[in-house]
Parts: sequence; structure tokens; C-alpha cells
Amino acid sequence: MDSIFNAPFVQDLVTLFKPALFNLYFLVLAVPFGFPLAVLLALGKNSKNKLLSMPARTYIYAFRGSPLFIQFFMFYSLSLALNPGVWKPLGISWLMIHPLFIGPLVLVLNTGAYAAEIFYGALQTIPKGELEAARAVGMSKWQEFRTAVWPNMLRLAWPAYTNEVVFLFHSTTLVYFTMPVINEQKDLLNKASELFEKDYNLFLHFSAAALYFLVISIVIFFLFNLIYKRLTRYLNVEVSLKIKPNYIR
Amino acid sequence: MLEMLPHWLSDWLGPDGMANLAYITNGKHLSWYASVRYTLIAAAFGAILAVFFGLLGAAAKLSKFAPLRWLGDIYTTMVRGIPDVLFLLFFPLAFEQGVEYMMAQWYCKPDELAAATTWPLCANVQWYLSTTEYMILACVSLGLVYGAFAANVIYGALTAVPKGQLEAAHAFGFPSREVFWRFQVRQMWVYALPGLSNVWLLLLKATSLLSLLQITDIVSWADRLGAPNYSPVAGLVHGDWRWKYYLVLFIFYILLTWLSEKFFAYLQARAGRGMARAN
Repeated sequence: MDSIFNAPFVQDLVTLFKPALFNLYFLVLAVPFGFPLAVLLALGKNSKNKLLSMPARTYIYAFRGSPLFIQFFMFYSLSLALNPGVWKPLGISWLMIHPLFIGPLVLVLNTGAYAAEIFYGALQTIPKGELEAARAVGMSKWQEFRTAVWPNMLRLAWPAYTNEVVFLFHSTTLVYFTMPVINEQKDLLNKASELFEKDYNLFLHFSAAALYFLVISIVIFFLFNLIYKRLTRYLNVEVSLKIKPNYIR
Repeated sequence: MLEMLPHWLSDWLGPDGMANLAYITNGKHLSWYASVRYTLIAAAFGAILAVFFGLLGAAAKLSKFAPLRWLGDIYTTMVRGIPDVLFLLFFPLAFEQGVEYMMAQWYCKPDELAAATTWPLCANVQWYLSTTEYMILACVSLGLVYGAFAANVIYGALTAVPKGQLEAAHAFGFPSREVFWRFQVRQMWVYALPGLSNVWLLLLKATSLLSLLQITDIVSWADRLGAPNYSPVAGLVHGDWRWKYYLVLFIFYILLTWLSEKFFAYLQARAGRGMARAN
């Protein structure tokens, strides 16, 4: 019993538990804000009004076409440049230049664009018959959206959105490669690199960090699969998400 | 150098314009522009290796030999659960340690090896990597990580090749090996192109991570050039301009993406000649 807990791998898992919470914190904050942003952007891109569709289209293209790594650097340095002139006088510089704020902010902006593209694709493939049926029974625009567009969009987009959330979780590693680490607020890869620099035992520390990523990814798949089952329960067929690398992002 | 500009151009730019031009063409900025080569080389060779590993991975996934199939499946699922950054850091370090371990077997004395508790195993087996070596390792890591993505794309494309074509090849008496390489692989490209285009775009964006491997690429130059400068000796005195330099990189990558999309659309149109289309 004693020997299992003293095994270096288990000790690594214990050490890396708190850092894993930082990765989870970025994810848990980015998903609830990124989801509504993505839906709004997708509806904007799908709109017939050019004034709505053009900005949404440009936003999505820009954030999908550039690396998240650069986006982190750009927004963080922009916030640093605004610090003396704007944030300091307002007294909010403690917040605006903190990685725990900028990190989720940029992740929200990024996942908003990626998920919007997924939702936009889903909006394009909503069965036409259902929209026509909604119009035929005299539904208002809002009723049509609520009964025909929204449920179909969610159902069609859900597998790809699950992949996006897992990707988002993996992207959280980039936060502390672009921003300073403040008082031991280290994420998985920071801590693993720190442990590596102490004893140069690469395989041990990196595989412990990798195990955390794998397990949390599988948990995300599991949770999203439960939601997917619920979204598709009216179809009366067994569906489930497959854990496989996606290549559509 | 700037004196060589024609008069009409220098007149049109004015003194301020000329000062700006002098600033953005000074030595440091020229080094920044030149460092784009690392990004492009990593993208190009990473992509070639990714297609290579992708073909191997897909062939393994389709193999009749079960352990090889498992290996292919493990390879492609690994990237699903683990971030690419971790691999990008892990592979070069693992390779470096592997080489140092082999060097240690050769150079270290047995008693030194036995006493060694930490790295390096003895004093004279430290391998210092230069930018060239890091570039090679970066290309291989990019190839390995995105090769797993490519393997999935190619696997899907290989199974999308019409069965009749392969059966016809078999009927003509081609051995299975040749049917695979001469018919299935030849024909799968057109099905694989859209997916490979996406993998290329992912890989292109991942080339921004080169600075994590101690390569002074465009990102680390942008950081240096934009850092505030208060000493006139070191050049133009300016505040924190980093966001401007990162904005340039932001636009640079969007342009690269746009160009790639145009190129792949052209390739797709070319590869699809003579194919029956649904629309």
C-alpha cells in the first residue's frame, strides 16, 4: 500500500492535481461565454442583412485564420499598452492585465469564432421541410427559431462542437506560454516543465501531464455525449459520439 | 540604402515617411523579415512529413495484421486527448535525451554511469542543440502530430475509393500490394484534399509555436522589436509597441490562410477534373 503511494508517477499525479484545476478553470470560464457568442456570430453570418453578416463573417475568418498563440500575445500586449493610460486611472489594472482574466477572454473570443463556424454549418443543413412546416402553420419568426431552427442546429452541430470544446481544453496550455506565471498559479504544462527541470525525468512528468489531459478529454466526451443523447432522444435511435481525432477545425 | 530610392518616391514620402521607412528597414527589422524563413520551412517540411506519417498511419490502420492496426489506432487517438504543444515540447527533448543516453553508453566510464542519479549521466555527454537541429526536430514533431490528423483524413479517403475500381484491378491480376499503392493510393487524393487542406491550415498555425523550441522565429523577433526602448543609442525611442508587431503577425497569418485556401481550391478543381459531382 505504502509503495503505491510512494511511486513517482503517483506522486506526480498528486503534484499535478492543482495545476490541472487551472486548465479546467480556463475551460469552465470560456465555454459558457463562448457558446452564446458563437450562436450570435453564427446567426449573424447566416443573416441576409449585409450589415450583420459581413462583420460576423470577417470576425470568424480572422480568428479562425490566425494562431491562438498570436491572439494571446496580441491581446495581452494590447492590454499592457493600455494599462498606464486607461486601466490604471480606472483602478482596474489588477484585473485587466491578469492572466486569469485575459486567458479566458481570449479563449472566449477564439472559441466563439470556431464554434460559430460549426453552428453556421449546422444552420445551413437544417431540413428545409421543417422550416417550411413552421411557416405553413403560421409561426412567428421567434416561434420558428425556437421550435425548428434552434433544436436542429444544436443537434446537427453537437458532435463537432464537442470536438471544439476538447480542442479548447487543449488550447488552455497556451495561456501560460504567453503570459507571466503569478504566485505559483501554474498549469499542467508549466508544472510538468518545472518538475522536468529538477530531475530531467522527461517521460515520467510529461506522461503524467498527458494522462491528465487524456482523462479530462474523455470526461468532456462523456458529459457531452449525455447531452447529445438528450438532444437526439426524439429520434428514437441509439446515437453516440465517437472519440476520434477530428480534422475539421 | 535609402539614398538609392528615386527622388519622386522620397519626395512623396516626405521626411516623416522616410524616417518611418528607415525604421522599418533597419537591421533588426530586416532580421525579423528574414526569420519568416523558419516559419515557411517548418510549414513546408512539416507538411511533407505529415503526409508521409499520414500515409504510414493510414496503411497501418488498414493493415490485415491486428497489432499494426492497433498501433495505427493508438497513434491517431493519442493526438485526440493530448495537446499538440505537449508533443511539440516532448519529442525534441526525448530525442535529445535519447541521443545523450546513447552517447553516455559510449563515452562515460562504467563507475560514472552506475553513480549517475540525474541528467546528464556524465559531464562530457552534453549535446547542445543549435537552431538548425531544433528546426529539424520541430519539423519532425509537427510532422508526427499533424501526421496523425492526416492519417485519419487519408484513412477516410482510402475507404472512399470505389470498391469496383479495386476489384477490377484484382481481376486484372495485380497483387494486393500493387492494388493498394497503384490504385487505392493513387485515387484517394481527390477525396483526401479537402481534409488535407484543413490539416495544412492547422499546421500553418502551429508554426507560430517555433519560439517554444528556442528558435528566434517571427514571434520572438516581434517580441524583441516591440519591447519598449528608452535608450536613444539602441535606436528609436518608443513605448510598448508589442501589440502593433503582434497585429502584423495576426494579419500575416490571415493572409497565409487566405492564400492557402485559394491554392487548395485550385488544386481541388484540378484534381476533380473528370469526376462525377453531385451538383
